[in-house]
Amino acid sequence: MKGQPSRLGAEQQPNLTGSAIDRGRPLQFRLDGRLISGFAGDTVLTAALASGIDGAGRRDGASLALSARHAPAISFAALAGDRQRALPMERTPATDGADYLTNARKGNGNPVARLLRRHGRSLDIDLDRPDALARPWLGMPAAAGPEADLVVVGGGVAGMSAALAGARRGLRVVLAEASPRLGGKARFFGTQDGEETPGEAIARLAAAVAEADAIAVLTHAEVFALRPGVARLHQVEMLDGTPAGRIIDLRARHIVLATGALERLPLFPGNRLPGVMGTLEAFELAQFYSIWPGASALVATSSSPAYRLAMLAADAGVAVPRIVDARPRPQSRFIEFSKAYGITLAAGTVIAAAAAAPKGRGLVAMPRLSMEGFSRPEPPIAVDRLLVGGGWQPDLTLWHMAGGESVWNAAGARLEPRHGPSGIALAGSAAGWLSRSACLASGGDAVDMLLGRKRQPVEDRLIDPIYETPDAPAPIGDEPDDTTQPAFLDGGWRHIERPRKRVSRWPGWLPFAPRAPGWSLADMPQPLDIADIAAGVQLGAIPAASAGIVAQERVSMVAVESGEDAPDDSTAPLPLPPAYLAGRYEGATLWLVAPDDARRLDVGALIYPDADETDPLKAIGVVVRIVGDKAVALIAGSAGQTASMREPGRAVGIKLLEPYRPD
Amino acid sequence: MSETRADFAIIGSTPLARLVAGLLASAHGKAVVFSGESQSGYRLPRAVDLSVAPITRPESWALLKAGLPEALKLISRVGGRRAWSRIDPIYFSEAPAGKQALAHIRHMALAFGYGAEPVPASAIGPGRDGLLLRDAVLLHRPVLEAGLDRWLDRHGVRRLRDGDALAMRADGSAELVAGNEHVEIGQTVLADDAAILAHVPAALWPPLLARRVTSTIATEPTRPLAAPLMHRLDTGLTLLQQAERGIAAIGPGAIDPFAAALGVLLSREREFRQAGQSSYETVVTADGAPAVGRLRGQGPDVLAGLGPAAAFLAPAIARWLCGVAGAAESAWLGARLVDRKPASSPVAEFGGPA
Repeated sequence: MKGQPSRLGAEQQPNLTGSAIDRGRPLQFRLDGRLISGFAGDTVLTAALASGIDGAGRRDGASLALSARHAPAISFAALAGDRQRALPMERTPATDGADYLTNARKGNGNPVARLLRRHGRSLDIDLDRPDALARPWLGMPAAAGPEADLVVVGGGVAGMSAALAGARRGLRVVLAEASPRLGGKARFFGTQDGEETPGEAIARLAAAVAEADAIAVLTHAEVFALRPGVARLHQVEMLDGTPAGRIIDLRARHIVLATGALERLPLFPGNRLPGVMGTLEAFELAQFYSIWPGASALVATSSSPAYRLAMLAADAGVAVPRIVDARPRPQSRFIEFSKAYGITLAAGTVIAAAAAAPKGRGLVAMPRLSMEGFSRPEPPIAVDRLLVGGGWQPDLTLWHMAGGESVWNAAGARLEPRHGPSGIALAGSAAGWLSRSACLASGGDAVDMLLGRKRQPVEDRLIDPIYETPDAPAPIGDEPDDTTQPAFLDGGWRHIERPRKRVSRWPGWLPFAPRAPGWSLADMPQPLDIADIAAGVQLGAIPAASAGIVAQERVSMVAVESGEDAPDDSTAPLPLPPAYLAGRYEGATLWLVAPDDARRLDVGALIYPDADETDPLKAIGVVVRIVGDKAVALIAGSAGQTASMREPGRAVGIKLLEPYRPD
Repeated sequence: MSETRADFAIIGSTPLARLVAGLLASAHGKAVVFSGESQSGYRLPRAVDLSVAPITRPESWALLKAGLPEALKLISRVGGRRAWSRIDPIYFSEAPAGKQALAHIRHMALAFGYGAEPVPASAIGPGRDGLLLRDAVLLHRPVLEAGLDRWLDRHGVRRLRDGDALAMRADGSAELVAGNEHVEIGQTVLADDAAILAHVPAALWPPLLARRVTSTIATEPTRPLAAPLMHRLDTGLTLLQQAERGIAAIGPGAIDPFAAALGVLLSREREFRQAGQSSYETVVTADGAPAVGRLRGQGPDVLAGLGPAAAFLAPAIARWLCGVAGAAESAWLGARLVDRKPASSPVAEFGGPA
């Protein structure tokens, strides 16, 4: 496909149809001067990915992948200086003829590099800059949004179910969804026996939502701040065919968070190289946009739905040499199917490290058999893509922001919600539910809970673990050292790295041997995303018992309520003497004093019996106010008495004139 | 069930709590139980530890100055050289009362031989008076805490573990039940705000103490501050420059109003984004001065309102708890008993909420 090397051909993909794009309506726009081709329905990000750009830039010399959670803000070239008009690449619809610039500073500023960049596979952002992927709209003031009784955040099956339940209960509902469409992630997880397919369920719910007059749907609308009673979001809306951003506050007594779950990133050096991608994001790019870079892919997972992705890829003609599964003896209906596809399974194996291929595109993955205390490196595998899955973490970001609590579940290796603030409830996989049936039921249950109505029990109907092995914790590969790629805790824009191992030729017990670097997450000047926290617990940097409180403390919060500085009482007269001088000098009262020579005295200067005394514990008074060329002192004495006031470097003689009586 | 005895139970997570516990065991030969969390490596800071403070009382300056060499030697030995550094903090004010107090603090610091210099408005913003104190010692809690915990273990201080139950009685004694072991403890010391808030029952709550909602906000990297540590007297807001140009701000108020106040304070020179935030309760005294000693003269000991310099007073406090403090230490601590009346307090400091 011309100009879109990562787009599957229409004839190539029986299942990965690109349901969001219209191949009959091609378009072109510019991004940093580079011509990007796409189709109507693409976002700026998906069109860039389809055009072969898979790198965001470099950080500390290492290339990092471009993804929906790791993409820069963009602006129209004509408005490049106006940060207030910046847009998110991943939520901005691609439009023909647009001319965008990424808002971040580039890694190499010389003209030759700029020319080469126009044909490279990276946006070449300088990711060493802390604000490289900043979203300028987070600090912008908000306008009032539509009135509502219930705000539902997240338009997956649980969110749609909650919105419909709210409408049935007579509430005015606003349903906010960050992506361009309703439906959420359910498609990735397939179907259990007796269920309707995810596509059927989503179509049914979406149709009901569309028909419900009481429900207002906002797509491309990401809620980024939450407090009880108010949700603040950024939405990309189309105004006369041109995308524009707006910030609105949705105020409602009831809020349901159906924010889904985040796919954890396995922890190995090179886990964010271009070409490495989460299985869920790879699935969505393929299904909605028909994007699949390269001809081969290695799947490395600790969760069964990844097998389904491998089979879909095989159907599209992609070579899948192996599925690497961290679980020692995984069982799944998907596994049986994938065996039928002839895909080799390597159980009890993790990716120890990955590196860029020595030549051209592609990666070299280093698997390691790691099972029941036994560990053995396996032969490296060269592939175009490495698709990774490390299990699922309920997305409790907004929950924590609103004051919700969470605790670490050691068995599931994830944070799970506990007590929350009044007026806010969780639904779906954000609430910890695993099955689609429970997610659907939890939407209505969340609304009933908020309204104080009788609740129906929600049950997770899971396949017996004998047949469907539960997810394992995110696999942990080799500890990075100075010779390897960095290992990141999560795939977002925080860039929190696992510390590198210090390699030394000296034994560790020697006093001058290099010590392991301290790892203080408290000092890190970035918020920690919830997946960073989960990884921190797995790596021992955060005690499991404190994971919930750390997640609450380190969530990326934006001030919602406008506040005022402390009331200014500067017009009130100052008490004389101030309270902190009470009892300082026995018998002291206020005296008007004058210096022996003409000079301005200084408030706070200590007064001594004579010029030879310098011990502040033997001071007999202090200057408390300046009155013209005289001063008011707190001192025990009598009219005409002399004393010495000490100023830096010298003593000044003073005389007590008369008791001071303020007007 | 085996029965043993301990002299003190120290409850608290601050360096002061750990130092007092360790000194009671190592320097005074007491049997000590310690209950405190080790969280400095991953929690947001709730206070700073600095060898100077915005104090106006000469006896307080004298005590701090006299005790600094001993405290610093101990901290260096226990935590290593990376556990502290020297900085030049800036105290500043926008309000007349705060500016007046700054002038008193400056003269007091100079009188005790500290380097104290006015700060030009160009460094801290127009309308503000500033005071820079030279060569203050700032403790690095994440580093020091690990060293202190090892030190406590070396000196046989028993640290509470998961499942241990420590129960304090109204007379200040306590009992620890750990599995089959029962430890009878002579006296409890509530050595930080969290311990006081958690363990002082309402019936024993002294009128001198008040609860105050306080917040910490950590920022993403932004423009550097004029000094590694800045403290605004008017509001009690402290700004601490952290690694990679982030800032930790600690001050009164719930998170959102505090963030707004911080925005007003910082926005003149820099934008900031929150990298973390926490809201919690602290204990303040009505006259702004420290409060120590036994509740109602016969309950548990409390250590409250000691401010950022608390850790540097640990040797004096440990001696006082054991009844072997020097005359100046006894006089200073004896004047600051928690049961004193707040009105017309002869030990009042600037910043008391009353």
